[in-house]
Amino acid sequence: MRFRRLAVLLVLLWSLLPLVWQLYTSLRTGAALVTPQPGLAGWTLENYRQILTGDPPFWRFLLNSTVVGLASTALTLSLAIPCAYGLQRQPAGTRAVISGVLLAAAVFPYVLLFLALLEVARRFGLANHLLALSLPYAGLSLPLAVLLLGAAFRDLPPELEESARLEGLNTWQRLRWVLLPLIAPASASTGLLVFLFSWNEYPIALTWISRQELLTLPIAIARIAGSSVYTVPYGAFAAATVLGSLPLLALVVIFQKPIVAGLTQGAVK
Amino acid sequence: MNLLLTLPALLLLALVFAVPLLRYGWLSFHADSVITGLQPVPNGGANWLRLIEDERFWQNTVQTLRFAGLSVALELLLGLALALLLHQRWRGRTAVRTITLLPWALPTAVMALGWRWIFNDPYGPINALVQALGQPALPFLSSPASTWFVVVLADVWKTTPFVALLLLAGLQTIPSDLYEAFALDGGSPWQALRRITLPLLLPYAFLAVLFRLAQALGVFDLVQILTGGGPAGSTETLALYSYLTAMRFLDFGYSATVMLGMFLLLLGLTTALLLGRRWLAGGRA
Repeated sequence: MRFRRLAVLLVLLWSLLPLVWQLYTSLRTGAALVTPQPGLAGWTLENYRQILTGDPPFWRFLLNSTVVGLASTALTLSLAIPCAYGLQRQPAGTRAVISGVLLAAAVFPYVLLFLALLEVARRFGLANHLLALSLPYAGLSLPLAVLLLGAAFRDLPPELEESARLEGLNTWQRLRWVLLPLIAPASASTGLLVFLFSWNEYPIALTWISRQELLTLPIAIARIAGSSVYTVPYGAFAAATVLGSLPLLALVVIFQKPIVAGLTQGAVK
Repeated sequence: MNLLLTLPALLLLALVFAVPLLRYGWLSFHADSVITGLQPVPNGGANWLRLIEDERFWQNTVQTLRFAGLSVALELLLGLALALLLHQRWRGRTAVRTITLLPWALPTAVMALGWRWIFNDPYGPINALVQALGQPALPFLSSPASTWFVVVLADVWKTTPFVALLLLAGLQTIPSDLYEAFALDGGSPWQALRRITLPLLLPYAFLAVLFRLAQALGVFDLVQILTGGGPAGSTETLALYSYLTAMRFLDFGYSATVMLGMFLLLLGLTTALLLGRRWLAGGRA
């Protein structure tokens, strides 16, 4: 009992201390980070003011990432749901082969693909288009999405669709009005995972986007880190990491159930 | 009709996964760099010969394997401990599970920057602690040995929750009457862990290792931002090397070859893992 309390405490410290430290740093003046200050001196919101009034202001990157995340999620789901449905209706052999390929693709370290994808972007003029990023993001998310949604379709009783068919509904109507509402939880889990992936993606956004005002959040952060002439005043960096983290922290706290379900469904099924 | 529904997704998948690998295969037999005016010119197997003799490639291979091996091992151990803790029933368990998930959800880029500040010499908090103990500040990120561990630490911090969740899902599939029967037969909790939990958890651990190993071998964001591959190339990984070869040295033919080299390594390792698993399962049956 006492041992468990200690373990929980350690887990909390391990998970939260690095985050708390970023928050603390973001609220301190540059001088206070270098030399200890007495009492209430050294606290400031200046770091936040600085990055929010930058050119472009920092919220622009948050907006860019949100736009890319939403577009990628929508595109992924609209491709993955019909695909998962169609796959369930294939002979078992075909299904097993495709599932194996999907699993291999889901595990694949996609950073290996960046050079060829960059060539595609250059050839078709997709570089420096925010929405174009959702094409590779959807492609990279599809393996996991199809696997998760396929498992959800498999869990539905077959009689359900059969009776809908006897009622005279065609494939599209059955999918739209009978099955889609039933796989809504799996769709939500999948969508959240795709959104998180797109928000955090680095190598492709790094090579596709070069215009400052179109950068997604991870690239903007990395650029702040790389271009700075300062080595010590980390306050502005920390403020950037705090603002960049908050939306995701909120997302995890609100949607932890579907996120965990999405992460673990693939393993259990 | 049903096959038609799968087509758009399968087409995009082929475009994103298969086309690049085929393109690399083709590029790896071409010189395509500043010297050729960025035009592909067939050069036989020159890229592959260069790869075999490239010391930087082999050094990076060793460094990548070292990083992946240690990170995944630590993530598995800590993830198992965390999963066992979260599997028990106690008040506040759900809240703690949410909190442990936070590191996983944050962009790698964000926390890579965070870690750079935490291990800053001499103003970071770790060095503040070191100095409070009366020691001189340590150059964590400018000496090869310690930099390497900081990279591992950052990776373990971020991905242990993911491994823990997979293992937790595994734990929840083990029926509790197995434990009750085992306890009735006089087995200790420790024996139950070894004889029931770990064997039944093996498929989940295997899946976690497979996924994490592949991702760790491709580690890129973390090293690029946290160390840039330094000091003196000591944390450079294969993904970073191929990235630099393409984007800094503009040598696309060789960059593609390095990536294929990495792909072959990955293929070899996962095949070994799959065979090992089959062998383990066979030994048990």
